[in-house]
Parts: sequence; C-alpha cells; structure tokens
Amino acid sequence: MIKRFLLVSATILMLTLFVVVWRTYFQITPIPITPTLSGETEYCITCHTDVAEISPSHPVETFGCVICHGGERLALDADLAHSTMRGGKNPSDLQVVEESCGGSECHSGEVAEERDHIQRVKTTIQATYAGAITNIRYTYGAQKYLVAQQGIFAIERETAREKNPLSVDALTTFDPVPDENPSILEFASNCLYCHISASPDPDAQRDNSRFTGCAACHTPTIGKDINNSDQDENRTPIHQLTTAIPYTQCNTCHNQGNYNLRTMTFDYRDDKPFDRLHDYYQPIAQFTRCEWTLDCADCHTRHEAMGDGNIYSNQAEQEYIQCRTCHGTIDELPLTKVLTDPEDIAFRLSFLNPVIDLKIGDIIIVTDRGEPMWNIRQLPNGTFEQFGKASGQRFTFRPVKGTNCEQDLDQQESQYCHQCHAVER
Amino acid sequence: MRPSFYHHLHPPTIPAPQSRFLYTLGAGGLSIYLSLVVGITGILEMFYYIPTPDKAAQSIQSITFLVPYGAIIRNLHFWAAQLLVITILVHLIRVIFTGAYGQPRRFNYLLGFGLFIITLLINFTGYILRWDEGVHWALTTGTNLVKTIPLLGDSLYNILVGGNQPGPATLIRFYAFHVPILSTFSIILIIWHIFRIRRDGGIAVPPPQKRSNFKRITRFELVRREVLAILIASILLLLIAALFPAPLAAPISTQILQNSEAKAPWFLLWIQQLLKYGDPFIMGVLVPSLIFLIIAFMPYIFPPPPPQELGRWLPKGTLLPRIITAIFFLFLIILSLMELASI
Repeated sequence: MIKRFLLVSATILMLTLFVVVWRTYFQITPIPITPTLSGETEYCITCHTDVAEISPSHPVETFGCVICHGGERLALDADLAHSTMRGGKNPSDLQVVEESCGGSECHSGEVAEERDHIQRVKTTIQATYAGAITNIRYTYGAQKYLVAQQGIFAIERETAREKNPLSVDALTTFDPVPDENPSILEFASNCLYCHISASPDPDAQRDNSRFTGCAACHTPTIGKDINNSDQDENRTPIHQLTTAIPYTQCNTCHNQGNYNLRTMTFDYRDDKPFDRLHDYYQPIAQFTRCEWTLDCADCHTRHEAMGDGNIYSNQAEQEYIQCRTCHGTIDELPLTKVLTDPEDIAFRLSFLNPVIDLKIGDIIIVTDRGEPMWNIRQLPNGTFEQFGKASGQRFTFRPVKGTNCEQDLDQQESQYCHQCHAVER
Repeated sequence: MRPSFYHHLHPPTIPAPQSRFLYTLGAGGLSIYLSLVVGITGILEMFYYIPTPDKAAQSIQSITFLVPYGAIIRNLHFWAAQLLVITILVHLIRVIFTGAYGQPRRFNYLLGFGLFIITLLINFTGYILRWDEGVHWALTTGTNLVKTIPLLGDSLYNILVGGNQPGPATLIRFYAFHVPILSTFSIILIIWHIFRIRRDGGIAVPPPQKRSNFKRITRFELVRREVLAILIASILLLLIAALFPAPLAAPISTQILQNSEAKAPWFLLWIQQLLKYGDPFIMGVLVPSLIFLIIAFMPYIFPPPPPQELGRWLPKGTLLPRIITAIFFLFLIILSLMELASI
C-alpha cells in the first residue's frame, strides 16, 4: 500500500520538477545594456524594446535609462523596476531634475560655458511664475511694490553670470495663508497651472498636454495624450528631447485664453482655428507676418525662455527681443558678430539643431544682451537669411536702414511696428 | 534487506500507535527536512548574495531575475524557512498537547525550544539581509527595541548594530549571525535533539505493563513513511515556491523610514501590535520574553501526565499547561491578525 503511495508521489514530484524547469524556458530572456557613463548593466530594454532614443545627444549606449530615470536596473518585475523611478514618467520635473539631468558634467555645469541650465531654469519667470504672483499680490495689497518677493518655490539667491539691475536677489515660496485676501486665495487655487512645475489644467478646453520641468518645452507633446501609454499610434509615450521647439509646444501654456481678474478664473479662447495664421495667436492679437510664419523659438532666445540666472519680477524684464534686434533701426544695422572661435556657443547650438551650416567667418546677429542669434546669418549683399529651428525653412529679410520706414527712433516696441506691418486675418 | 546508513539513523522498531501520522503530525521530521532544504538553498544563494548595503538588495534582484533557477531557489529558501516556523510550532504544540515533555524528556524539550528560538532568529536575520525598503521598518524597530533594555541595552545594540545606526557593519553582522553562527548552533542542537530522543527512550509511550497495544513497526516501514512525507512536502513546497515569489523591494536608500505602512515579518506581527499598547521595553521585550519563558519552562513548572496517559493526545492531568498554551497562541494569533488588519 505505502509503496504504491511512494510511487505515485515520486511521480508527481518528478512531474512538478519537470514543470518548474520547463517554465523557465518560457521566461523572458533579459536583454542587458551597459551604458558607458555608469558602467552598470541594466535590463530596462528587456521590456521597453520599442522606446526610441531620446535624442542624438543622449545615445542609449552612453546613457542607458537609469542615469536619467532612476528605477531598479536589474529588476524584471514591472512594479519593482519602476518603484524607484524619479519623477514618474518625467525625470525632468523640477523636483527631481537635479538628480536626473544635473551634475557638473551635464546640465548643472559651468556658468561661464552656459551649461548651468537647471540653475538658470529655476530662476526663470516660467518656473517662478513671479510675474503673475507679484501682480496679483500687489493688486490686492499683499505687497507694496511691483517687485517680486514670492515665487512657486523659494530661491535663496540668483545665479546670474551678469547681474541685471532689474532683478531681485531671492524669492520666498508663494503660500497664501487662509486669512489673506480672498482673491489671492482664488488665484492660488485656480490660476497656478501655467508654470513649468505644474501639470496643465485638467479641465482645459484646448489641447494643453505637456510634461513639467525641462520636458514642458523640450518634449513635443501636442496632440498626444501623455497620461495614456497604450500602444495606440497617438498615445505612445513620447520619448524625445529636442531644441527644435515648434510654436504648438509654447501654446500649451501661451495663447490659451485670458485671466478673468474679476472671477479669478481662466477664460479659454473659444475660436476654432483651422490654420497656422489663426491658431498662432489669440483672435485679439496683432502681429506681423514673421511673427506667425516663424516659430516662437526662432526669435526668442534661450535666456528669455530658460532664464539667465537673474530673478525677474515680470515677463517684460526677462523678454527683451524686439523687432529691431534683427531688423535694426533706420539709423543702425542690427548687432552682428563674426564667428572666429570654434568654441563659440553658436556652433554648439547649431550642432544640436543642425538647420544651418555655420562656418568660421560667418556673420551672425547678436542681441543687445550678447546672445547669438545663431540661426540668422548675414549674406554678402547685406541682407540676412534665417532658418526655422523647428521647420528648417529658410527665410530672408533685410534691415530697416536704407528703406522708406517712417519709424520714430524712440518707438521700438512691437505695437508701433504693427501700425504699418500687422497682417489681417 | 540490509539496513542502509539512513536506516541506521532510526531505531530498529518503534511502537505502532505512536508512529501514526495523526499522533506525531510528522512535524518534527518535516522540520528537519525543511532545515535541510533551507540549508542547501542557502548555500546556493551564498554564491551570489553580496552582504554590503549598496549591493545586497541588488544581488537579490540578480538572484531573482538573472541567475538561472535563482528565483526558484530563493523562493524555496524563503518558503521552506516560513514553513519551518510553522512545523516547529506544530511540533511544540503536539509535544505539549500529548504531555510528552515530562521527565526524562524535560531537557530535550528545552533543546527543542532553543531550536525554535534560533529558528526565529535565523528567520529574522535572513529577513534583514534583504536590506530593502520592505525590511527597513523591522530593521529600525527591531534594533531600537534592543536599546530599550535597561543597563544592557546600549551595549547589546552596539554588538548587534556595530555603530549608532544601522549601516554596513550591521549588515555584515547580521550576515555573520545568519550564516555561520546561528546555523552552526542549529545544526549542533538538531543533532543533540535527535540524539536525546534515542537516549531518552524514543518516542513517549506508556510503560510496557500499562500498554494495551504492543504492535511495533520496523525502521524500514518508518523510513518509507518518512520518504512519503518528504515527497509530499517537496511537491507542496515546489508548488508554493513556483507560484508565490518571495517578497522583494527597492534597496534601502536613506536612513529615513519612507514607508509608514511597513510590517514586521509575519511571525513577529504580534509584537508589532503589542508595541502600540505601551512602553516599548515592556511591550516589545518584557512581555514576549515572559511568554517565551513560561512556554520554555513548562515541563519544570507543571507535573507530567501519569505514565499510563503517555503516547496519546490530551492526556489526563495536563489541562492547565494545555489551557495556558492555547490562551497564549490564541492571544498571539489575535494580536497578529489585528496588526495585519491595521494600516
């Protein structure tokens, strides 16, 4: 009797052993990569086979995945592998960006070489939102002057290479206490969707899908549902970083509508634009042809968008490009410089986004704060050619000097140029 | 048939009524078998496990995900260790509820209880060797409990932790406790425990003049039954190990406890619940020690059953120790369930 039991159970044990061994043949084979920067093998691509390389500047053989995203590099269990990821699907969120993108060899590098991207971005008006906060607090009596005191997060000191006299030294955190003016409280609860630390308004009536942090601008998200990572054509997670930023990405925050200062809510624009001309700006806006045929980033510089380390009190202090930056005035040609140094930052920028083949000896426009307009080159006949950073399109234009322009030298703001040059829609 | 070496580890014959499964529950034998499984799989794990804070959790991830058959071996190690606690408890309860702890077996009962404590310690140190967020709470709380012991606390903490907070010294010490020290102790105690069974006259039976059933089974039959039990236990163990992976979490990254929902290992949940009721020394050290001491010295406190009552369940004259044991276990189970239910 017992011998029969022995035989049966021995057979079952052998079968169980066989099944256990057999199962291992159907397990996923781990696919390793050992990025040269970390030298530590990681197995993320075992599952993430279909993720495109994020950018030519971050090749996967060099960076791998973990150096930016964190996570458990050896785990083949999704929950465990993802448990320690930085910033969820977006390691560039400003809360974690220093760990993900920082480091002296990367984006917290030398101030002199303008490799301190993270430090500068944290001071920019797009991150601090100090402009709106200052205006609201000033309007409702929480501060005496229109000078920034508070931002989305505290900044202990500015990090500017050149201190701008307009800028302030530090910001404290905007955190309205309950006994503050009700309008300020309303503002705090309704209006803090448009800085790069905030996720966009979930109740938006327009496409405003974007990530936070660096990816807010550098990852093209328009038309994609970033909260859904189903393997559907339009819903695949966007794994891209680029400096070729189209206006549509800027418009995930800008040109969405207007604040209603009485109700402290946001009124979304209600037009249904069908082409670029109508989509670019809100219906009430005035603009010239170049302002909608080019992309925002074609004229607005890095320091305007990503900050120069100074803490400004409003957008107008940080934004300084005018029509005359490229067109000059009736008296003066635009500022230019001859590229003589192969280490010039203009070459670095055009290398990252090769829409123009800059060479030593080329003459490019520079701004009055010294930034290169590296995508605009002077032609031998004195006119200029400009390449769209996102479109790659070539445009040509000529300086104002020597034309019949009737401008007043003291009236260089765009509204004066718009009087003659605005387009009709 | 000539008896083999393995046959010779058993007495030539043993009384049939006391060799039935429903009497012994096979718990002692299974405990030895599970100890063997834990030992062998543990030795295999030692080839890949790296006992340093920055590598420990990662090396376990390697074992789990990358080493051929690593996952099944780790799962076997884990589940055999958990089942071992249960089989030892069942064995302990069997001995108390059959009154088999009386003289001459008093000392062997103590040896067995020592094995139980060592098993809990090996289990706890093994748990800590994961060095991941899943054990962070137990590591912090467990070591801090030691500190609360009056007079000895600080020195004991230093011996255990090797500094003023858990770090590399702690991990290597827990490794030393887990692998060479406690395992050696348990091997010695297992051999001693088995030796004492033979020396104390084998399994507890009434004296010959008081027996009604004189049937005996041979060592050949006994070994066949043992092998059958081992085969069935192996099948179950393999199935559990194949279907339920041993727990794993991200490495401990900072000294700060991040997960407030952390739980103690299941066999210490009752202490975690007790800690909510008062002073950590009283609730976390004194009360559990008292419970253990009372159970450990039960044969010395309570008289054994009369000889004719030996060798069967619920012998007369042992009501009090049975009730006390039952109350203790009920109490521990309720506390554990309360802790499990709390968030």
